[in-house]
Amino acid sequence: MVPLEGLAALTVLIGLIMYAAFAGADFGGGIWTALASGPRARSQQVSLFEAIGPVWETNHVWLVFVVVALFTAFPLAFAVLFEALLVPIAMALIGIVLRGAAYAFRHYSLRDPQTMPVTGQVFSVSSMLAPFFLGIAVTATAADRIRVLAGQAQAMNLTSWVTPFTIVGGLIGLALCAYLAPIYMAVRTQGALQEDFRGRGMAAAVALGVLTALELPVALVDVPLFWQRLVHPLQLGPVGVTVILGVTTLVLLWKRAYRWAQISAAGTVAGLMTGFAAALYPDFVIGQLAITQAAAPETTLVEFLITLVIGSAILIPSLVFLYWTFGKEYPMTAGRHYG
Amino acid sequence: MASDMDTLLSARALMGISLAFHIVYVAFGIGMPFDIMVAEGLALRTGNEMYHQLARRWVRPLVVLVAIGAVSGTVLSFELGLLWPRFMAFSGALIGLPFWLEAFAFFIEAIFLSAYIYGERRLSRRTLFLCTIPVVVGSIASAVFVISANSWMNTPAGFQLAGSEPVPGNLSNVDPLQAFANPAWLHELLHGTLATYVACNMMIAGVYALAILRGHLTEYNKRALTLVLAVAGIAAPLQIFLGDFAAVSVARLEPAKLAAMEALFHTTQGAPETILGWPDPARGEVRYALEIPRLLSILAYQDPNATVQGLDAFPPGTTPNPVLTHPSFDLMVGLGFLMAIVVIWFWGLRWLRKEVPSGKWTMRAVLIASPFGLIAQELGWFTTEFGRQPWIAAGTMSVAQGVTPDSGIEAVLIAFVGVYVALTIGLVRLVPVRAPDGGRSALQGGPHGSS
Repeated sequence: MVPLEGLAALTVLIGLIMYAAFAGADFGGGIWTALASGPRARSQQVSLFEAIGPVWETNHVWLVFVVVALFTAFPLAFAVLFEALLVPIAMALIGIVLRGAAYAFRHYSLRDPQTMPVTGQVFSVSSMLAPFFLGIAVTATAADRIRVLAGQAQAMNLTSWVTPFTIVGGLIGLALCAYLAPIYMAVRTQGALQEDFRGRGMAAAVALGVLTALELPVALVDVPLFWQRLVHPLQLGPVGVTVILGVTTLVLLWKRAYRWAQISAAGTVAGLMTGFAAALYPDFVIGQLAITQAAAPETTLVEFLITLVIGSAILIPSLVFLYWTFGKEYPMTAGRHYG
Repeated sequence: MASDMDTLLSARALMGISLAFHIVYVAFGIGMPFDIMVAEGLALRTGNEMYHQLARRWVRPLVVLVAIGAVSGTVLSFELGLLWPRFMAFSGALIGLPFWLEAFAFFIEAIFLSAYIYGERRLSRRTLFLCTIPVVVGSIASAVFVISANSWMNTPAGFQLAGSEPVPGNLSNVDPLQAFANPAWLHELLHGTLATYVACNMMIAGVYALAILRGHLTEYNKRALTLVLAVAGIAAPLQIFLGDFAAVSVARLEPAKLAAMEALFHTTQGAPETILGWPDPARGEVRYALEIPRLLSILAYQDPNATVQGLDAFPPGTTPNPVLTHPSFDLMVGLGFLMAIVVIWFWGLRWLRKEVPSGKWTMRAVLIASPFGLIAQELGWFTTEFGRQPWIAAGTMSVAQGVTPDSGIEAVLIAFVGVYVALTIGLVRLVPVRAPDGGRSALQGGPHGSS
């Protein structure tokens, strides 16, 4: 394969990993807001809510990055995926919009958040809606249900994206977000609250592991084509690394080494998604649309990659500045820094 | 084929509603960072704390408006795929580049806006000011990039088409840089970006004019009003000239759009300028209009005898509807002139009396003109979009060829209209302009009015 397409596809994958690793934790914050329990339920909610403040919008831009990279470098894949997955993508989008808006209203309103229960419920429910349907949409590319003819998705039944494989994929999306948020929070909290997040992180880690393991037999029965690619010897690399990182995260949480656990948790997510992408390779839509078929002409790919290099030279130092300024401490009082 | 028509209408309606909604937030997302940068700069330079407090007071409304702009912009990027996948399959390789550049600009804007908002206690005053610069640059760059994608739809460039079918397989000699710098880009980016400054600053000026009318004639309100009307005082009159430049460019690049804008049914030598009136396509005339002889030829071609192409110069079925385009255009121009008159009036009084004008009639004029910028921005966008019909990429691909083959777009339309209604209710009800204590606005009032 000409490496240009490969590099462009890698850009899409990296964008997706960044979105999952950063914005995924923000969705996880919404999930654990709904699941807050015990004597410190209120502090859990407040701390999760405040931590999202300075970073959610930047994290959200990774989604725009992925969508734009997809239609610039792989216009055909973009068209086919959005045609075939209209319903799950629209559902995820509704979740994304309502989450962002509910958060902004609650966080920046002059009113006490306690007087706005509806925005709190919308925030939590939409934080679950988005990762569940994004998980479905991503795994649907490997579910062997989409049919592509002459560069166009064939008319599908509106529910043909609902398969055991994609439903478990949606649950993995949820578990992934629920896994990242408490581990990131453990770094930013102390005492009993930190212990709360530690326990929740470990529970979610187990859930993520169980669901991912469950996806394997489901693939064997539901999507033999993906199963065959998954058990290829070359796949042992990413799968092995992901399993090791997942177990390491649990051990680090057990030992209360939160900073390392945070890195290991993000690594697990990156490993999981890389493993999925590697099994899907060389296709965008399994067995139907190859990366090379979907790619834009060479001139576009070259300019796409040049822009990426120049843009990254500005973007990466800016991101480091943002997370260096706001990642070190727990921004409990962030909400009072303006106005 | 009835269901295909429903899909097309629903897709157009949803895209139109989404953009009309998004544009409002964009105006503030681009306009307000500039005001904040100016205020922080003045605070640093003059040592007057009031400017810093002014800037910080704008943060709360700005951040909500930017958040809504960000999510509504995301909706648009998804709708390109959900509603127009065939258009994107064809043109993604050509117009993807400006969107790709915009993604980076958007990152820079979001990162430094967050740093500015949350950095009050962690960053020095100087660093805070420096953070506003990339926000301003990023927001302008976002606008300039995304407008390139729109101007490509008006004047497609950077490719060759084998055959007449606009499908990706027929594309050759794809040159994204040429597509990026397409002919309509320059006038659109100047006119479109400046429009956000006019719209935003007129709207904010209205808030302070209202406060002054209600008796809050404070030093703080006067300085705030002066600052935003200084920006609008440059932007609104300048926009008249850029608008003229845009119209002259449209005459050259998109003659059918100009004919629809001016409701010129028949190709005419020494064409008159038709002001207002109601175009009647069936009879090929404009009723109740005011006609100024030869003015259109003079404006479009600087020649009173120039021939201007009418709608009849183009094959039937390939021209835009003047009933939608002409009133949008004329109203936009009218509102633009009214705003320019108001700001010139304000600065004329300021110059004559050597003090900030705060009289009842001046403040009323500012208040009445305050929504004109946002309305003109929407009308200008109506003009360029209705004026391109029936094409999604002028002369190359029709809107009907670009739409999704999926059924069920009506349901998506209903769902998203519901989302927009919810967002609007949320904004109005949950982001109170009135603070609980003094009953003063989050924008207006003194520096200690609320919080």
